[in-house]
Amino acid sequence: MNNIKKEALLKKRYNAEKRFKLYGILSIFLAIAFLFILIFNIFSKGSGAFLKTEILLNINFDQKKLGLNNNSSEKEIREASFDEILKDALLALAPSAPELKQAELVDIVSIDAELEIKKFFLNNRDILNKSYEVSLTLSDDLDQVYKGNFPRDIPEDRRRFSDFQLKIYDELVSKNKIVSKLNWSFLTNADSREPELAGVASSLVGSFFTLFVCLLLSFPLGILAAIYLEEFAPKNKITEIIEVNVNNLAAVPSIVFGLLGLGVFLNYFYLPRSTPLVGGMVLALMTLPRIIIPCRAALKAVPPSIREGALALGASKVQTVMHNVVPLAMPGTLSGTIIGLSQALGETAPLLLIGMVAFINVVPSTPLDPSAVLPVQVYLWSESAERGFVEKTSATIIILIFFLIIMNSFAIYLRNKFEKKWS
Amino acid sequence: MNNDKIKISTRNLNVYYGAKQALFNINLDLMEKKVTALIGPSGCGKSTFIRCLNRMNDVIDICKVDGSIKVDGSEINEKNVDVNKIRERIGMVFQKPNPFPKSIYDNIAYGPRIHGLAESQNVLDEIVENSLKKSALWEEVKDRLNQPGTSLSGGQQQRLCIARAISINPEVILMDEPCSALDPIATAKIEELIDELKKSYTIVIVTHSMSQAARVSQNTGFFHLGKLMEFNLTEKIFKNPDNKMTQDYITGRFG
Ligand SMILES: Nc1ncnc2c1ncn2[C@@H]1O[C@H](COP(=O)(O)OP(=O)(O)OP(=O)(O)O)[C@@H](O)[C@H]1O
Ligand SMILES: [Mg+2]
Repeated sequence: MNNIKKEALLKKRYNAEKRFKLYGILSIFLAIAFLFILIFNIFSKGSGAFLKTEILLNINFDQKKLGLNNNSSEKEIREASFDEILKDALLALAPSAPELKQAELVDIVSIDAELEIKKFFLNNRDILNKSYEVSLTLSDDLDQVYKGNFPRDIPEDRRRFSDFQLKIYDELVSKNKIVSKLNWSFLTNADSREPELAGVASSLVGSFFTLFVCLLLSFPLGILAAIYLEEFAPKNKITEIIEVNVNNLAAVPSIVFGLLGLGVFLNYFYLPRSTPLVGGMVLALMTLPRIIIPCRAALKAVPPSIREGALALGASKVQTVMHNVVPLAMPGTLSGTIIGLSQALGETAPLLLIGMVAFINVVPSTPLDPSAVLPVQVYLWSESAERGFVEKTSATIIILIFFLIIMNSFAIYLRNKFEKKWS
Repeated sequence: MNNDKIKISTRNLNVYYGAKQALFNINLDLMEKKVTALIGPSGCGKSTFIRCLNRMNDVIDICKVDGSIKVDGSEINEKNVDVNKIRERIGMVFQKPNPFPKSIYDNIAYGPRIHGLAESQNVLDEIVENSLKKSALWEEVKDRLNQPGTSLSGGQQQRLCIARAISINPEVILMDEPCSALDPIATAKIEELIDELKKSYTIVIVTHSMSQAARVSQNTGFFHLGKLMEFNLTEKIFKNPDNKMTQDYITGRFG
């Protein structure tokens, strides 16, 4: 009787175990599925931005139309207008086109096409008075057509390109004059109103400056605060209150730090608006508790016997801490810092408040220049109407995720490497 | 005991952890270049006592040490005495080996470095070698000085800690149950070492092993519930102690 009862109980226990395992596997599977969908979605939308579509156009570098000669200086070339020869080349695509359609022909290429010709000419001076095939950026709308993002069978008045443009485009495609290239300018260009020209350089550099300022401020402050609180501060009411508040600070919504930055850094100290300097300062406030907490945890994890060993040798308190305790706590601290920074890298809300949301079409050269950052760039582009910005938005997210993965892997690497060394 | 020189003497030493008193009126003289063993049941205050001698109890916030501790006749239990200087003169070896997470070499070199005992790399090398030789570890580690100290066995680690303690050439070495984590062979090595070290250092050793106290020490003190019950020549304590409790303890009837 007793044995049968025991048997049944045992069976029940095993079943419970099996069920628990199943739930666990199920939830992991769901999490991975969601992640996969997210990544697939972003990549399928964004990968197009890493390619650009160009048109091969035969251009006649006519000396008279350019107003240049073989001895023209670089300055003269830069000041010359290449618009006319560009227009000639474009009109030559459909010589019989009525006057009305000519404007549509000119719109086939990007507004930067003239600059691209100029650059090409600067690198190849000897082509004056010759015809040459130059590769020019296609307009954003046709670029999207080429990438298959624009349906072509909807009525003309609901498209951003005309039937006439489409006809010319199809001719060019059949003549292999439309080519797809790796879009380096997405990484080297600043933001632009024209989707085919817009790039992430300004926000990439802005993010770099912002993180740099953030690291410069929060790392030393965080480490010193943590070391002092953990190793030197007397344990009393005041330090207890500080400790509780550091933990609270880590839970404060980031937008509050943005308000603080707006109120203090901008309106009181008159620091320059929209700059990585202020952005970095605001993010440093946010990152500080995220450095202090792991650093203190790492210090706490150092066995007290190490401290006693050093003290018993006659090392002073500072020597004991700096020589023997802090080096042991460094891996944990560093990985905490990197994770804090990667959170700062993805932060948007506080930066919107201090004006880092402005349209910046130059790459900043110092942390004092107005600039955007990657997540804000995502926000800005996601609000734009042009179809071309959709893929740019996703592509920027890809870049952001790429940096986050690198930073977090580095944090994990540090932790593993140094933990192995001494245990 | 007559013609021995007193190295450390405590008078009316009372120690409190918060409101709780851990030591009561300890009066004890430690002889120079002798081994003094401290025995007694767990919790009787042996560790507390030897931690007073190099002011390690300062580290514990709630610990208050009252009374006089004289080293070579000068008082050390005063606020204005530099504890780092005292600890340079009075080294300590702990119950659990606690090598620094550095190389074997750096473990030994750490003390001389912070006290500026070596003007050159050669002198430092020499100190490291001598310390390791004195602690009978040199032969085992001379080819692997760059490996982490934590890679050694428990017994080797404890000898490393002894080498570390003698690297700054202290006058006194305090050992708190240095063999409690070791096997009999490692224990025998350390006991031999203590015998050797007493030629140049004053040694205080806390131990739970009666036989160890009998083997290595010249004087023995018996603690009970925070009081020093008996202090005398080791031979006398183990052959015919004055105190009944001492007798009971060393014969294993309590404790
Ligand atoms: N840090 C501390 N805080 C509070 N009380 C302590 C502290 N350290 C020791 N005590 C108390 O002081 C008394 C003596 O402790 P001590 O460690 O000196 O004993 P011991 O003789 O070394 O014991 P054992 O043989 O187990 O090591 C004990 O009652 C202990 O509870
Ligand atoms: Mg003890």
